[in-house]
Amino acid sequence: MAKFFIRRLLLMLLTMVIVSIAVFLITEAAPGNVARNVLGIHITPEQEASFLNQQGLDEPMYERYLSWLIGSDWRAAGKIGMPAKQITTEDGFREWWAVSEDGTLVRWKMEGEDMLVQRRLVDGSVEESLDNERWEVKDPAVEIERLEEYRAELLENAQLTDDDRQAILQELDRILEILRENSRDPEALVAALAESEGALEAMIDPEAMRGQVTFQEIAEDIAKDDKLMQAVFVSHSLSASTADELKKSDLQAMARQLDKAADAIQDINPTLEGRLRQAAESLKAEDVSAAREVLEGTVSTLDQVLGSLGTFVDALQMGDYRRAVGVLRDLSDPAKTPLDAARLAVLPNSLEAIGEAVEDASPELSETLLQAVESLQAGNTEAARRTIGEAAEMLGEIGRAIARGDAAKRARVARTFWGVDTQNRAVRWEKGTGKVVWRLIMGSGWLAYSGGPAEYIPLQKGLLRGDPGLSLRTGRPVADLLFKRLRNSLVLAGIAFVIVMPVALVLGLLAGLNEGKALDRILSVGGMMFSVTPEFATGIFLILIFAFWLKLVPGATVFGEKAPWERPEMLILPVLTLTLIELGYVLRITRASMADVMKAPYIRTAFLKGLPYWRVVFKHALGNALMAPTTVIMLHVNWLLGGIVVVEVIFGYPGLGSYLLDSALFKDFNAIEAGAIVLVAVAVGTQLLADIIYTFLNPRIRYA
Amino acid sequence: MAVSEKSMPKTAAKPSRLQRLWDGISIIFESKVALVGLAIVLFWIFVAIFAPLLTPYSPTEQDYKAQNVGPSAVHPLGTDDLGRDIWSRLIYGARVVLVILPVSEDFWIPGGTALWGVFLGLIVGSTLGLMGGYLGGWVDEVVMRVLDAMMAFPVILLYMIIIAAVGASATNVVLAIAIVGIPGIARLVRSLALDIRTRDYIRAAETRGESVWYIMFVEILPNARGPIIIDAMLRVGYAIFAMGTLGFLGLGLPPPSPDWGSMVAKGRQFILSGSPWAALWPSIAIASLVVGLNLFADGLREESLRYQ
Repeated sequence: MAKFFIRRLLLMLLTMVIVSIAVFLITEAAPGNVARNVLGIHITPEQEASFLNQQGLDEPMYERYLSWLIGSDWRAAGKIGMPAKQITTEDGFREWWAVSEDGTLVRWKMEGEDMLVQRRLVDGSVEESLDNERWEVKDPAVEIERLEEYRAELLENAQLTDDDRQAILQELDRILEILRENSRDPEALVAALAESEGALEAMIDPEAMRGQVTFQEIAEDIAKDDKLMQAVFVSHSLSASTADELKKSDLQAMARQLDKAADAIQDINPTLEGRLRQAAESLKAEDVSAAREVLEGTVSTLDQVLGSLGTFVDALQMGDYRRAVGVLRDLSDPAKTPLDAARLAVLPNSLEAIGEAVEDASPELSETLLQAVESLQAGNTEAARRTIGEAAEMLGEIGRAIARGDAAKRARVARTFWGVDTQNRAVRWEKGTGKVVWRLIMGSGWLAYSGGPAEYIPLQKGLLRGDPGLSLRTGRPVADLLFKRLRNSLVLAGIAFVIVMPVALVLGLLAGLNEGKALDRILSVGGMMFSVTPEFATGIFLILIFAFWLKLVPGATVFGEKAPWERPEMLILPVLTLTLIELGYVLRITRASMADVMKAPYIRTAFLKGLPYWRVVFKHALGNALMAPTTVIMLHVNWLLGGIVVVEVIFGYPGLGSYLLDSALFKDFNAIEAGAIVLVAVAVGTQLLADIIYTFLNPRIRYA
Repeated sequence: MAVSEKSMPKTAAKPSRLQRLWDGISIIFESKVALVGLAIVLFWIFVAIFAPLLTPYSPTEQDYKAQNVGPSAVHPLGTDDLGRDIWSRLIYGARVVLVILPVSEDFWIPGGTALWGVFLGLIVGSTLGLMGGYLGGWVDEVVMRVLDAMMAFPVILLYMIIIAAVGASATNVVLAIAIVGIPGIARLVRSLALDIRTRDYIRAAETRGESVWYIMFVEILPNARGPIIIDAMLRVGYAIFAMGTLGFLGLGLPPPSPDWGSMVAKGRQFILSGSPWAALWPSIAIASLVVGLNLFADGLREESLRYQ
């Protein structure tokens, strides 16, 4: 007996492990992604990657499975160097904190380039202070490799002046030297780096760095609506990349842009239109070199039409300040650019647009450009040329500062550290690599940061320790809702079960005793009809009859914060639907079993002995006749669960089934897994129960 | 199949093929229940095949002037919330269930979605069952363990996860129905194969040196066809049931395809605001078709048991 139980229990566990892996694999293979479901369909690939990273969804599958099963805090603790602990606050929120050496709970957040530590005091209040000492140099070897690569890049960087380059190179080489002396301990390393890093820091002009992003945005804004400018962009990107780098879809998109540009210009310059169309055709045929050849000749014509500004905007967008300054210089030089009528027609408008746009980034530049526009409009070409020349010098100055700041920033040694953040994740913060990180900040949307969290491990205890993780759909712990929903479903199923069993068994026995008579025909055909009709059809019929026509009971369930049993009138129809479906099934099983038993020789013997009819039925037949229904009903639970899902959806009943359905449609990973495990546990558990009951009812099994 | 008593004296020798077929069919007429079931099923097959001739409307044609109206001379069963003719959607919906399988928007193959689901399940399930039953040993052990795990899955969960994984479309519904049906079919075929493999003609085939596959598919499978066919008929009922449920849960054919389950799900929202028709008719349709199929199969089984 004991052996049998243990074997069954082990099999049950094995099944549940297989199920959890299967659910994991299937949801993994599913197309579509949860990031879109959570954030909307218009997110960029970077934002999607950042979201997946933050949720820990980009880790290898086995790692995520283990985190889900046995938790991730132990893994995070190894990285942080302190144990992580989950606490429940007075408001009932569950929070993760790291436990420092002296036993206080701490966690961190990053503000700008500073690290702040939060300490949780005994009374539950939180105290904040600067904690920049925690930053550590990543892995010196990795940093050496990165900086050496960067050094080569620095030598190629055409935006830097030679002086700036020399200054940065000098500091960079010193940093590399310090890093290579591997013998130092981390603290000494930081101290040794301080001087060079200070020098690099001094080269970064925060004012100018703000301009960097602004210029790019301006260029994109101006170019977005201008089809001819798009054509210039296409031409530049074609000449900048080789045929292999361009994807087929890119080529098609470029061809479309060229076609649009051709449409825009067809009335003004038919020759240009023809060449643009020709280039578009070559792109469609994926002949990149032909397209490049055709376009190279057209850029200068296009630029003429645009008043030289196509190249200018393109240069700003690429961050190529030298080329942008060059365009302005050429404009100021009568020898290079004749200001003919065609140019004069477009130039003031374009310059004005740019001048207004750069207002925020550099008021002086904006003012100078607008001044040039005024001179142009007044017909004073000479003055205009002079002012444009001044603007060129200003832009050159700004561009230099930006290039220097950018280069200096990336020459610093990256700092990093693992800690617990304020959103229950273990995070590796990083600063100094110049890598852009997209972060969703509540209230302000998506923001790009140059430093910040680089890696996340969402902290969870794991299913085996009673924590199924967070629901991606609601952002709340799965367990909170899951158990409420499970309770609701059990209430529904329980009430239905209590009603169905006696009614179905009695009716089934009656039908079985009257086999072949009218009562039997009516009961079995009726029962069959109810049991094979899909639950949703039965539910609709009941709603129509009792809620729509007779108006006796509500046709939907609304509980709000209340528990189902507090509003019993809303339970009537869901329970009735479930009851009808199950009634037919149990009735038919009981009937067949009873009819079989009544034909058995020992019953005939009992009758022949002259025992009274009812005595034979109750004393001899009943026990054996109930054996099959009891176990079959248990096995039927699997099927019943499907019915519950549908009934919950029909009546809007807040049960486990509808929870699972919503989660599956949303790809809410943790919720599906937890729900599936609960369902399978119920299904397999009842099967085990059925076996046990059967063993007790039928002694032959026990000795087999 | 069973042989009718009346035909026995007429053909003293072995009855001809045609005669035996007729005897099989005549069983249906012995049972009123089976006849009623057959009539319902034939009705739906008829309207499904001739759907384009039975309604002037296309199932997706919208009439903004007549939304959610009850039955009238123009729209025999009324219209849904978008003003689409419910009768037209019903019979085109029957078409998808019983007559065609829409593979893509403008390509379909004959055989209803429910039928293909069962058929696919039969192919895979019988193969697994035959392998388990005939080959035995570790093959049997592996096949049975996998099937046990599949059986432990609540059916509805399996449907949800499969459709969530592969997306909602007619072919994926076929796939889901087939996958869910495989364990049951495989178990049935395995038990039949276990019995048949002890027969003498199998021994004979083995002695002849026939290949394993030949024995499984040419010797065993045809001799197990009786119970498999009856099981398959019941499974078509389940498949239609499942299609309806999937549609109702939003996991069936994508809109605007006429799908009974999703018609009910959509119509349900308008019941309490006074327009019950859009939910009522498809509910009746699916209930009648499933009940009809079961009445037919039940009656048939009862009659054939009586003659055995």
